[in-house]
Amino acid sequence: MRALIFALLALATPARADFPETVKDHILPGYAAFESATKALADTAAQTCVAADIAPAYHAAYDAWMTVQHLRFGPVETDGRVLAILYWPDPKAQGAKAQTALLTGDPAKLRPDTFAEQSVAARGLLSLERLLFPADPLPADPCPLIRATTADLARIAALVNADWQNGFAQTLATAGEAGNPTYLTRPEARQVLFTQLATGLEFLGDTRIGRPLGSFDTPYPERAEARASGRSQRNVLISLKSMRQMVETLTPDAPETIAAFDRAIGLAETLNDPVFAGVSAPASRLRIEILQQAVEKIREVVLSELAPEMDVGIGFNAADGD
Amino acid sequence: MNSRRAFLAGLAALAIPRTSWADAGNPAYLAAAKQGEANFLHGLTETGISLFSLPLPSRGHAAAAHPTRAHAVAFARRPGTFAVVIDCARGVETARLIPPKGRQFNGHGVFSADGSILYTSEVVAETSQGRIGLWDAATFARIDEWASGGIGPHDIKCMGDTLIVANGGIQTDPNDRTKLNVDIMRPNLTQLSPMGEILTQTDPPELLQNSIRHLALSPTQVAFAMQWEGDPAEAPPLLGLWTPGSAPVLCPAPEQEAFRMKGYAGSIAMSAEQIAITSPKGGVAMVFDAKGTYLASHERPDVSGVAALPSGGFLATDGTGGLSLVGAAGLTRISQAAVSWDNHLVAI
Repeated sequence: MRALIFALLALATPARADFPETVKDHILPGYAAFESATKALADTAAQTCVAADIAPAYHAAYDAWMTVQHLRFGPVETDGRVLAILYWPDPKAQGAKAQTALLTGDPAKLRPDTFAEQSVAARGLLSLERLLFPADPLPADPCPLIRATTADLARIAALVNADWQNGFAQTLATAGEAGNPTYLTRPEARQVLFTQLATGLEFLGDTRIGRPLGSFDTPYPERAEARASGRSQRNVLISLKSMRQMVETLTPDAPETIAAFDRAIGLAETLNDPVFAGVSAPASRLRIEILQQAVEKIREVVLSELAPEMDVGIGFNAADGD
Repeated sequence: MNSRRAFLAGLAALAIPRTSWADAGNPAYLAAAKQGEANFLHGLTETGISLFSLPLPSRGHAAAAHPTRAHAVAFARRPGTFAVVIDCARGVETARLIPPKGRQFNGHGVFSADGSILYTSEVVAETSQGRIGLWDAATFARIDEWASGGIGPHDIKCMGDTLIVANGGIQTDPNDRTKLNVDIMRPNLTQLSPMGEILTQTDPPELLQNSIRHLALSPTQVAFAMQWEGDPAEAPPLLGLWTPGSAPVLCPAPEQEAFRMKGYAGSIAMSAEQIAITSPKGGVAMVFDAKGTYLASHERPDVSGVAALPSGGFLATDGTGGLSLVGAAGLTRISQAAVSWDNHLVAI
């Protein structure tokens, strides 16, 4: 089946980069890698519950998620999978509360089919982080919950990848062809991919960087993503690199967009502030603000250069807001 | 009316025959759309076929359809400085409504059930204090003005001979729509009598930053759609049901689906069995049953306009030019055109 899809994609592929290339070279490899990484994570956790031994596989799985997390359409939206993989931000600590109940409650809830029905806030990468990098001693042996959480992640990643491989990739790559039930024209496929990029950049600037920044008088370092495992800066960097690669698959002709990405990537690489702790001190805060501005600049260039290049725009009604 | 005025009115009626919706091809819905740089008001059939497209002077927001005459009133986007009355059968603009000095239209309006009065949602420009404008539906002369019962009214609908107002609670800059009072906003639903008195009004909601903006009515119930102005990391309910006189009931979506709306319901429609809300920001249409129990979510980029179909289910429009059928079981694409359908699809 997978070979068939690739054959179909090859047929549909024009010389230039366009949305079928994004499917083939960005989306499908990303979800395949996420499936592999989460399977390796679950396999590791099945062997050991020593946090330090699981940590490398945890980081690899989180890295893999960051290459596809900006894609918020299609199979990942089914049954709340995207939230069950990563529930963040969680300002009311719903994840921690629900997870404590699982940690100290009925072990039957950890069976795969039952665990899949638990709150999305109590599952996923950050739930695993709380077990591997706990701030306070855990009230019970985390091993069964570590195994349930990693197995659940691997299960979801496999479902997402399978749904893309076995249908949705073809649906998107054949936009505008007769019989396509979802995308009646080719521009619709470009539009949906462009929207992922625009909203992904917005989330990166406003939320991943913006939440810990807060305001000058009230910074919120504790709001940084994946703070316990020291991944806040790394997440921003991987996301930027992945979205840059996505742009390259969409068009060969967006030099200003690529330059704006490269500038932000350079800043993210050299920030040397893994959990954005620097938001609380003026000099280090300034460097994070400059990174945020560089991300906002990408979004501006994406709208001014990439959107006309792809003949798309920000949603007509989404942007109006009334 | 004295006999002389009656005589003159009769003459006028003879001179300009009043066109009916049948003369306009019996459209089921009105929708504004942008096509290239031009804006049009379309009359659509239940299967989404455009029966007419008439030019609008600028981008539209919502329209009001006269219950019998082929008159549509198209409201400009906020801050609204005018609305146009279009005879959809003859394809001509027959009147232009200008709000009184210091007032602005707020995007929505509705005719009374007997078709004699047009109500318009308005604000005092400087303060966003809500007003309801009353216009004679025969001459489109301004006849009165009421207080709306809150700040920043948006959608208004008739329930019998009363008027239901969604007072969104948001004070905006009169020039650029910048929100000025998000920290202290107090949205409400208000029911006004035929004389403009407040019959009943909801208490401020538990979540003060959930702006009540759009309405869909059954004969006895108000379904209302909200837009969340609070922390985007939270996903409060965006649908509520209100029986005037009792407390409103919120209708949450399941936690794994709630975030897909991005805190924003742009339009709402209600059929006998179901309610649909749309989020162009999230690219999602959500379907609930008539009691507000969640049924399903469907992906569709920039989906916004939605209206009930007589046969059940809903017709939805989107900013990419698509028309779709929406129900609990799924979303089915009907057509794709090179237009951008605007926020609302209005049933005639």
